[in-house]
Amino acid sequence: MEETLPISAQSAARRWLSAWWPYLLVLAFLVLFPLLAGVTIGDPTVAQEGTGSLGNLMLRAESGAAKFWQGMIIQILIFAIFAMSYDLLLGYSGILSFGHAMFFGTGGYAIAILIGRNFDWPFGLALAAVIVIALVQSLVFGVLSLRVKGVYLAMVTLAFAEMFYILAEAGDFRVYTGADDGLHGFPVPAYLSATDHRTRFYYLTLVFFVAVFLIIKRLVDSPTGKVMVASRENENRATMIGFNTFWYKLTAFVAAGVFAALAGALSALYKVSVTPSMLSLGRTIDALAMTIIGGLGTLVGPVLGATIIQLLGYWLERWFGPSWTLIYGIIFMLIVIFLPYGIVGTLRVRSFRLKEGWKQLQQTLAGK
Amino acid sequence: MTSIWKNNRAALIIVALTVVILGGIIQTMEPKVWVSIMLSGATLASLYFLVASGLSLIFGLMDVLNFAHGVLFVLGAYVGLSTFLNPRLLFNTLPIFFVLIASIMMSQHLGRAFWSRITDTRTRRIATVVLLAAAVGLVLLALRGFPMRALNAFNITAVGGLVTTANAQDPLALMLRRLLLLALGGVPLGLLLSPAERPEEVSLRPVWQTALIAGTSALIGILLLVWRDSGEVWMLALSPDVRFILALIMGTVAGALGGVAIETGLIRPFYGNPVTQLVLTLGLSIAGIDLIEAMWGEEANPPMPTPSLFNESCRSDSIIGWFSEHCQSVDVVGRAFPTYRLFIILVGVLVFIGVGLMLRRTRLGMIIRAGVQDSEMVQALGINVRRVFTMVFALGSALAAMGGVIAAPYLGVFPAMGSIFQLQAFIAVVIGGMGSFIGAAVGTVILGMARAFGDHFVAAGIDLPFLDTVIKGSPAIARASTVLIMAIVLLVKPSGIFGKKE
Repeated sequence: MEETLPISAQSAARRWLSAWWPYLLVLAFLVLFPLLAGVTIGDPTVAQEGTGSLGNLMLRAESGAAKFWQGMIIQILIFAIFAMSYDLLLGYSGILSFGHAMFFGTGGYAIAILIGRNFDWPFGLALAAVIVIALVQSLVFGVLSLRVKGVYLAMVTLAFAEMFYILAEAGDFRVYTGADDGLHGFPVPAYLSATDHRTRFYYLTLVFFVAVFLIIKRLVDSPTGKVMVASRENENRATMIGFNTFWYKLTAFVAAGVFAALAGALSALYKVSVTPSMLSLGRTIDALAMTIIGGLGTLVGPVLGATIIQLLGYWLERWFGPSWTLIYGIIFMLIVIFLPYGIVGTLRVRSFRLKEGWKQLQQTLAGK
Repeated sequence: MTSIWKNNRAALIIVALTVVILGGIIQTMEPKVWVSIMLSGATLASLYFLVASGLSLIFGLMDVLNFAHGVLFVLGAYVGLSTFLNPRLLFNTLPIFFVLIASIMMSQHLGRAFWSRITDTRTRRIATVVLLAAAVGLVLLALRGFPMRALNAFNITAVGGLVTTANAQDPLALMLRRLLLLALGGVPLGLLLSPAERPEEVSLRPVWQTALIAGTSALIGILLLVWRDSGEVWMLALSPDVRFILALIMGTVAGALGGVAIETGLIRPFYGNPVTQLVLTLGLSIAGIDLIEAMWGEEANPPMPTPSLFNESCRSDSIIGWFSEHCQSVDVVGRAFPTYRLFIILVGVLVFIGVGLMLRRTRLGMIIRAGVQDSEMVQALGINVRRVFTMVFALGSALAAMGGVIAAPYLGVFPAMGSIFQLQAFIAVVIGGMGSFIGAAVGTVILGMARAFGDHFVAAGIDLPFLDTVIKGSPAIARASTVLIMAIVLLVKPSGIFGKKE
């Protein structure tokens, strides 16, 4: 007979901490980053009399290199949201979609058009509309494309995304989409402008990122998420146990679509411009690359992948000029060949082996 | 009779529906209009087919979705254009490949001795990395400062005329030094390519045969280099028809070699892991286009001149008249139609018949068809399926590259042309059913017709009886319409018209 131990509140908190401390550490860094950057790389000449030391710090955070690196992290976080949503599809549900950019781009276009001069909706309403549009869009195309599997699905989603790309580029809807120029300078609310209030936008993005991370983590840890993984591993078996895998895959598809649209909307608000390239295969490849480089089927992987690819892109472009995509493609292929489980996946496999080896060593030392 | 109906019900319904829709559309038009629209559609279909058939065969046999197929199309177009206009580039680059291949072939014989000495897995891994580094280092060293850009600068200025500048190419001694380094670099490459597992079981040709082939290859390379100046003059003096055929051959061979390189380097190590294969070809499609842009420049080239058989500025009354006059257009039911596009259609039909016969009547075709059904069983019957895989990959790539060369005079040559055709080929293959050769043909014809009629209606406008104004759109709408057709087919039959049920 086993004795049930009463779990005290203290040990529960300790267990929670021991599971979450790496996340908390990263979160603490991200929360403090604007202040740290303001102190270290901000422009000290912007300090004004009578604003107090904290006010001066905020001013410094809004200037020079500090502002630039906050922008970099904003972009990383936006792409991390996008890549996490893609990982929900490919990594957790085993759905290989090549049309994920259509949600990203539609999210961007929707917010740009709705707050633009044609509709002039209030910002909150427009953001809600983006989510509704993404829900409907991902439901329709999810139902259509989930009729097929595997590589078929890849090609079907690719074609659907291409349709959106072509429609965004078409001259027929120039009034709304700006055709191949895209939309620029639409009226983003002044309190959200990334040029004037970079730090504020930074925290907004961070809040969205943390929320999406927690929601996806909750989703994949829930029974629904377990069925998604089961249908990825062996769909026939999951069906045989009695799960209608279609609904679970559709859930993943819709959730991924909504989060991708959110990322697209944030990207549009940050850059104050949307172009047809947001809907192109290139964006989907970005998400795919981030997910695969970081590690499929992990949530930390896509975030790490987004960080690596954004920074790599930035440095490669600085070093090699316009031909950087060639080197990027080659590095991408090398990572796929040599780290087949991605960085996080490979690390996990390694540490697993290390633990096993450690156990074996202990057993040998104990003379068993 | 009933069984035919049962087995192909969806296919027959869709084909009948297409015919009815086409018939209905044709009813409202004059013959000269719809005939020329259908011919334009057939031209497009023919080009789509050259890309789609290879994709479909490759997928059917080895379950690989080749995202780099469009790159091979572009490669064919650029190699063809260079052969046609700028033979200097060929005379300077071909020796590199000849020497590299000769060196790789010879070092395959060293491979057996090399890998059977190294038995330890860890040492093997280290040896692989060292060999890879040596090969990359030597090849890069050999090609350092190769004046690719300068050699290419003549593409546009030298239309039909002789290339006069001599400074662009490296002096002979430097080129020979490069070749020597390349021959050295080929040795680690060959060692890498020879199988490390159970090397004693690898069957190789006798050494003297390999030496003969490799020696001839290296000799051809060096001779090409030595005779590059006179060869260039000789080639540019040839008639455009002969040069076009040479371009076709060179482009196709380049595509086939590219296909072999992709299969052996990126696909073969990852059979059984389709996502990795797919992602690798995707990465290659990024890097490949960039490589082509780095070599040939990013800007679009004007269309390659059509061969003189299709280039006289006149209009023949009929095809019979064209045989003697070589006019650039021919009268089809009262409307001029370019003869070169008829040639494109002819090539598509010939490839369809040729590959179809190959699949039906030859032993290789039998193996391929059996492999599409169950490649493990074919392997179990004692047939080297991996070699057939390589051959089919080469065949599919060669067809795509040939499509690129043929499309060059019709569409011009630009780096983005590959992705456009690749996407349409994907759609056609999904419509027709993956792995089905007939399906690829039917899918491309449906797409070509849809595009041609779509473009026509978008330009002329649709006059619906219940609307006052004529609906007009941009060509983009016609492009998007093909996706709609795919969606409809998928709703009716998810595995495509001729696809098997899973």
